Amino acid sequence: MGKETITRKINDTFLRRALKNFAAAYPVARAKAFEGIDFEGLRGRIAENKRAGLKKLPRLIEDFTAAAESAGATVHFCRTPEEANRTILAIIKDKGADFLVKSKAMTSEEIELNHYLEKRGVRCLETDLGEWIIQLAGERPSHMVMPAIHKNKEEVAELFSRATGTECPPDIPSLVRIARETLRSGFLSGQVGLTGANVAIADSGAIGIITNEGNETLVSTLPRTHIALIGVEKIVPNMAEALDVITILPKNATGQKITSYASFIKGPTGDGRELHIVLLDNGRTSLAADPDFGEALQCVKCGACANVCPIYEIVGGHVFGHIYVGGIGLVLTPFFHGFDKAEEILKLCIGCRKCNEVCAAKIDIEGLIVDLRDKIRKPLGQKFLFGTMMKNRKLFHAALRTAYLAQKPFQGEGGRIRHLPLVLNRETANRSLPPIAEKPFRDLVEEQTRTGEREPATGEKVLFYSGCLADFVYPGMCMDTKESLEKLGYAVTFPQKQTCCGIPARYSGEMEVARDMARINIDVLLEEKADYVVTICPTCTMSLKHDFPKLLEKEPEYREKAAILAAKVFNFAELAARKTGTGDRGPAADLERETVTYHDACHLKRGCGVSAEPRQVLRELVGVEIAEMTDCDKCCGFGGSYSIKYPEISQEVLKNKLENIAATGAKTVAVDCPGCRLQIEGGLEAAGSSIRVEHSATLVAQRLKK
Amino acid sequence: MDTIFQASAEAVGATVKRFTTTDAAVAYLAELAAGEPVAASTLPSGLRAALEGFAFAQPDSYPLTRTAVSYAHGGIAATGSLLIDLSDPADRGAAALASVHAVFLRASSIVADLGAAKEALETALATPGRYISITSGPSRTADIERVLTIGVHGPKELHVLILEGA
Repeated sequence: MGKETITRKINDTFLRRALKNFAAAYPVARAKAFEGIDFEGLRGRIAENKRAGLKKLPRLIEDFTAAAESAGATVHFCRTPEEANRTILAIIKDKGADFLVKSKAMTSEEIELNHYLEKRGVRCLETDLGEWIIQLAGERPSHMVMPAIHKNKEEVAELFSRATGTECPPDIPSLVRIARETLRSGFLSGQVGLTGANVAIADSGAIGIITNEGNETLVSTLPRTHIALIGVEKIVPNMAEALDVITILPKNATGQKITSYASFIKGPTGDGRELHIVLLDNGRTSLAADPDFGEALQCVKCGACANVCPIYEIVGGHVFGHIYVGGIGLVLTPFFHGFDKAEEILKLCIGCRKCNEVCAAKIDIEGLIVDLRDKIRKPLGQKFLFGTMMKNRKLFHAALRTAYLAQKPFQGEGGRIRHLPLVLNRETANRSLPPIAEKPFRDLVEEQTRTGEREPATGEKVLFYSGCLADFVYPGMCMDTKESLEKLGYAVTFPQKQTCCGIPARYSGEMEVARDMARINIDVLLEEKADYVVTICPTCTMSLKHDFPKLLEKEPEYREKAAILAAKVFNFAELAARKTGTGDRGPAADLERETVTYHDACHLKRGCGVSAEPRQVLRELVGVEIAEMTDCDKCCGFGGSYSIKYPEISQEVLKNKLENIAATGAKTVAVDCPGCRLQIEGGLEAAGSSIRVEHSATLVAQRLKK
Repeated sequence: MDTIFQASAEAVGATVKRFTTTDAAVAYLAELAAGEPVAASTLPSGLRAALEGFAFAQPDSYPLTRTAVSYAHGGIAATGSLLIDLSDPADRGAAALASVHAVFLRASSIVADLGAAKEALETALATPGRYISITSGPSRTADIERVLTIGVHGPKELHVLILEGA
């Protein structure tokens, strides 16, 4: 993605305000729409049914075709966009028509139908208000459900003035009235109507379409020929499954319980009327059969993945997507439009997994994005970094030690890095960086063992897997972890041969390297008998617990080992929480309880499903009150190397986080992730704030010392 | 059930009136029509008879007719929705082109939620050439700056005339 485009979107004040307001309003409306509904149950059922449906997609296509044709419709199966365009043109020409009136269909955007038809003398009129606006502007949708969310009323007024030849005021009710009046004549004179569909029902041959504006009814009724352009993945076996989709879709899309209209159409309705159903494949049947990526077709196109995406909120759909936008847009683009179109956008995901949490079809959107990165071209130099250096622990750690010396000239007061030379400077503009420590934790702990400074603790045995960032940048945080766990009754050891968890390699699409790192760490962590493996970096936790088994599932020996390891891996907060209520470690009654705010790390909450334990630890072991911040579980913008690849975006995401932190009035932000600490602390420091950021382990260690 | 229906329908911008007699409902409709011809969808014969005093517009003048009248085969309480059989294209034109849409609904035909309407939908779609609408509130858009605006292409007002005890 061109940096200039990103910068332009970041500086587009209207777009930013519109998306920010939407990001704030959406979760509230969505929660209200789902009141009294078991969202997890519903989406679990949709996911399961869709999965089963995709497995027998050719059969569903056959059944639907037979049922729709016996109801009098003509079904055209089209393998490619070109074939679909040609088929639609032929239907229009057959009617002697040169004017097509349309309601919203993403499939039409997908095959660029308007462009194709207009070059061949057929005028197209979009009647969905948002689609009409972007048609007049000559743009593409920036959201699947709200295509013109990036346009303000002044721009719309200008477009309408040009289209109608009369001055239109930038007043929303009158703009809507102008659209009603102007498009009315289009409906009445349209010779052929084209719609999409949200579901197609195999056993009855009916199709289902939802709209709010009511334009679909006009498009499918006033012209006597109706074309429905439908992606084959929209076919469901029966009405029950269709109703599940229609139940979840508007709630997830716009926070509405239901749209104003849901219409079911079966066959042409009356003499002289025709219903043509154009089934679009465009790679879908082969994608459906793909064991790794077929899941993507479970999508019901609600757009919720964009609605909650912190990156979409900053840059909008013209950057974060191609024709389909949002998280699932990133996944579908390579299959519908080619890998060349997807290469840049696939890197834009920060990996926060917020989309997975809301996906109507329970798709592992973030996981698919990461897996797809394996399939795109890698930047130069990446091969050396991951292939040679990361795989060799000694070389990698030696490089980090060298970096300690190299950074010295750039360290400011307090040792933090505020200014880096030349090109690297951009990155630190709104964030200072902590230096690499003179002595990493691995050295400190080794010295400690050698000097026999400490009695070996007794109790359940814990292997400490620190993660590279904590080891080399925050050795104090590691020491606090070790000490607090020991005080809580665990026996803690640090296996020296542990190395990087492989996430940076995996996120960069170097799956083979990630597999190597997984095997190395599995061997190291299973070598010594232990009850638990504890981590203080949620990304490492997620990697050890969830990614290793997945990466090695095809290797019987390591698959088994990975499962044994996964069962032992816990985050610090989980192990600490087990010791609440044991002994007198609770808050001292005579101490005034400090108020802290808590930031949920993406990979802890959504990667590991842990969000209650950290709060329990803070309340019961540290003895503080928690002032929850708005969007406490929304990404801080770090994302590992993301903050270096896309510093402009990372900084904007961070700004939102800092605003929410400041609003709580708390003087301390507790986190459970060294990456979040680095990012938030850097942002606060650069802004001159006195708010401190601490890992829970540090807060526990400090409290237990008292 | 009709209380829940009313709350849900009002939440999506419909006007809901409950009547104990058909005559009272018809009188309400007369007020809405204000003496102008109405565009009427296919209605049950009893209801059609009750509207004998009304002037009915012809389909070719539907684009200029202000008020449309339909009959719902069912209601959905959770979403305040109406199940309307609009298989006749003229009925669809009536319901979609009017500014004011009045729909009769029997209280006893209201079911709990969309899932409970499955069989009614399946029955309605059993034969070819069907168009079944689930209508919830008036036509709406939020496509400009996400500001909710009522009545973009379809009706600006939806009136639900619930016939109690029917």
